[in-house]
Amino acid sequence: MNWPSCLPSPVADPCALPPGPLVCSTLETVPMAPHALVEAWQGDLWPNPAAAPAALALFVGRVRGTTAAGQPLEALELEHYPGMSERQLEQLARSSAERHGVDAVRVAHRVGRIFPGEAIVVVAVCADRRGPAQRCCQELLEALKHEAPFWKREWSGGMGTWVADNTPLESPKRMDRPS
Amino acid sequence: MPASPLPPAVWVRLFGPLRQAAGWDERWVPTDGEPITPLVLWRQLGLAALAGSAEVGRPGAGDGLPGGVRVAINQQFASPQAPLAAGDELAFLPPITGG
Repeated sequence: MNWPSCLPSPVADPCALPPGPLVCSTLETVPMAPHALVEAWQGDLWPNPAAAPAALALFVGRVRGTTAAGQPLEALELEHYPGMSERQLEQLARSSAERHGVDAVRVAHRVGRIFPGEAIVVVAVCADRRGPAQRCCQELLEALKHEAPFWKREWSGGMGTWVADNTPLESPKRMDRPS
Repeated sequence: MPASPLPPAVWVRLFGPLRQAAGWDERWVPTDGEPITPLVLWRQLGLAALAGSAEVGRPGAGDGLPGGVRVAINQQFASPQAPLAAGDELAFLPPITGG
């Protein structure tokens, strides 16, 4: 069942929550406070913390202070496809949640102009065990990077440059480090 | 999307670097009532000439869309060879860089 919105749950008894993963996805146009956002979401779903799933996997992606070319970044602009982007967030979150058998997923993605240090994406996954929570979180994040219609443009020195590729999963510095 | 005009047409939308390179973002494109696909419209609109950068999409090995460029019909990913119907919303999506 699709959770109708990201509004507080009207269900006081967690045993009465609808079957299937609870998915909440939103596009945000103002700066996010990731931890407060996730705390509020969990509190809405499980007012009694003792009834909440034991594992929470959380990813927060923030805007770097430099461009892909190594120049100081003034801002990152995120263009999206209104309508399709919201639907894709919801579908990708639900698909990952069902595949990994987790209890709940929260996705929040910024659009518009974002400044260095601000959160651009938040993915939180609640599950009974850490394995599915972490796997779902990582898989969903990668899906967002490749399957959700967003395009980044870096602003530096008053010039805008479209980003050609997603950043690699691993840091090049760490990959080069001898083991 | 504005009301579909006569004769039959498809509402074409461009995003990100593709929109910037083309110099337009959305327009009605008449189909003349003939069966038509996104790939045919891609060529007909002169968009193939814009390929060549990683942001817009590298030219494909064959005569298809450039690498990384995807198609959405009525806001769902679709094949470049999918048939289009009058009134459809067709979007050409340059390489995605979300998350």
